[in-house]
Amino acid sequence: MTDLHWMTAAAAAKAIASRELSPVELTAALLARIERLDPRLNAFIRIDGEAAMAAARTAEAEIAAGRSRGPLHGVPVGVKDIIDVAGLPTTCHSRILADSLATSDAVCVSKLRGAGAIVLGKLSTHEFAIGGPSHDLPWPPARNPWNTDHHPGGSSSGSGSGVAAGLFPMALGSDTGGSVRNPASCCGIVGLKPTYGLVSRRGVFPLSFTLDHIGPMTRTVADNALMLEVLAGHDVHDPGSAAVVSGHYSAGVDRDVRGLRVGFVRHFHEIDMPADPEVTAALAHVARTLQLEGAEIRDVHLPTLEEFGAVNRVILQSEAWAIHAPWLRERPGDYGQLARRRLMAGAFFGAGDYVQAQRRRLEMIAIVEETLRDVDVLLCASSMDPACRIDSPADIERTYPRQARTPFNVTGHPAIAMLAGVSAGGLPLSVQFVGRYFDEATLFQVARGWERASGSDKKHPAIV
Amino acid sequence: MDKQMMELLARRAGLDKALAEHPEDVAAAAKQAADVARKIKAPADPRAEPWPPMRPGSGL
Repeated sequence: MTDLHWMTAAAAAKAIASRELSPVELTAALLARIERLDPRLNAFIRIDGEAAMAAARTAEAEIAAGRSRGPLHGVPVGVKDIIDVAGLPTTCHSRILADSLATSDAVCVSKLRGAGAIVLGKLSTHEFAIGGPSHDLPWPPARNPWNTDHHPGGSSSGSGSGVAAGLFPMALGSDTGGSVRNPASCCGIVGLKPTYGLVSRRGVFPLSFTLDHIGPMTRTVADNALMLEVLAGHDVHDPGSAAVVSGHYSAGVDRDVRGLRVGFVRHFHEIDMPADPEVTAALAHVARTLQLEGAEIRDVHLPTLEEFGAVNRVILQSEAWAIHAPWLRERPGDYGQLARRRLMAGAFFGAGDYVQAQRRRLEMIAIVEETLRDVDVLLCASSMDPACRIDSPADIERTYPRQARTPFNVTGHPAIAMLAGVSAGGLPLSVQFVGRYFDEATLFQVARGWERASGSDKKHPAIV
Repeated sequence: MDKQMMELLARRAGLDKALAEHPEDVAAAAKQAADVARKIKAPADPRAEPWPPMRPGSGL
């Protein structure tokens, strides 16, 4: 059997269901690994070991009695600490909410538990999912398991770090300007921002109402599809929830890519924000590989990254200001400096700025929709650079905006980021695929096509 | 945005305490906002609608 810590969620669920593996054994092995590695990674804000072991024992008894809860029965999961887990604080990695206790599970957590998953604890984030890797908060920032001197990306930093390090096979993240896909890119795992409204946001602390998405983070495409299958679905109590029938994403994951039309958005990384040469080479390699697998690659053009980024920032910071204004007025010193600066920016936009950004947003949606009428998926950069050092505020400030993720928060299209290669310095390089609304199935098909051809799911950091 | 305008807007937004305790952060926030807002291209068509549209009868 594979080392337990590198076992995929699907393989673990299968072994548990057939009673070849005990959920108690799996949970205990992961908790032991967490105890050993987390002091170097800081992926966790709170480890809920006792509750996890109790849940594992219950799962074991249920399975022994022939009762299956669902496709993730007995499989551990980590939860970003802006997402409510009943009985635990939702701190948002901030002094502001350090004592805030959740009384019920967020819908996404409730669905995972309903499918049998075991919550291991709450994971580090950038403060309120916006700040950055801050050293002036009550908990340290998470670190990258490929090299702990480097940033793991964010804001779902603990989720990315922990999945990549084999602390858990799957995690929940949130994505408002790229916060699932950034850590997926920096840590070399698979991170999906689903179509806006496909996964309920109820019970998740908001950053920006019209840009927030909840997404699965895993080491393989198949696990990501499995997790989305559990998470997706209409929620009448989430005003942004889409009234669509969610798909069966796992079934078609292994279809080959022959005949699929892939639009390559080269200008993002060649003109708008010239990428590190290793990233450029990796993206060209992904395109060539998909072509060899039978996909048709053609160049497509979208608005510039600068313009997408500006629309994202105006909307995000205006909506975030509406949420944070009372605390920023009364307790500005309780925020870390990075979050304080970013959140206060919303105070300086006018109503007209916000409405103009939303008008331009509709035009951008129309352009992406038009493009996706001629191709099945888009291929583009995610991060323009490998992860920078975590102790260099100047490098973080320089590299953080060098990305192509925000366009798809603005438009709401589903987007997946994953490993495209490894740099000469031993850090992950990334690629992003983007699909039509609610067509996550085709997105998984292409992502799996690349994963199968490249063996990206077999590459792990050497951390022990 | 000059300092006087920045302070006026900050006070209008109720950020007096932040201005007193973290003046460099308020100034940095104001600069971020000014830099970003000028990059938005207003739609050429005056009839262009914002997203999301009002949808009576749907949702809650």
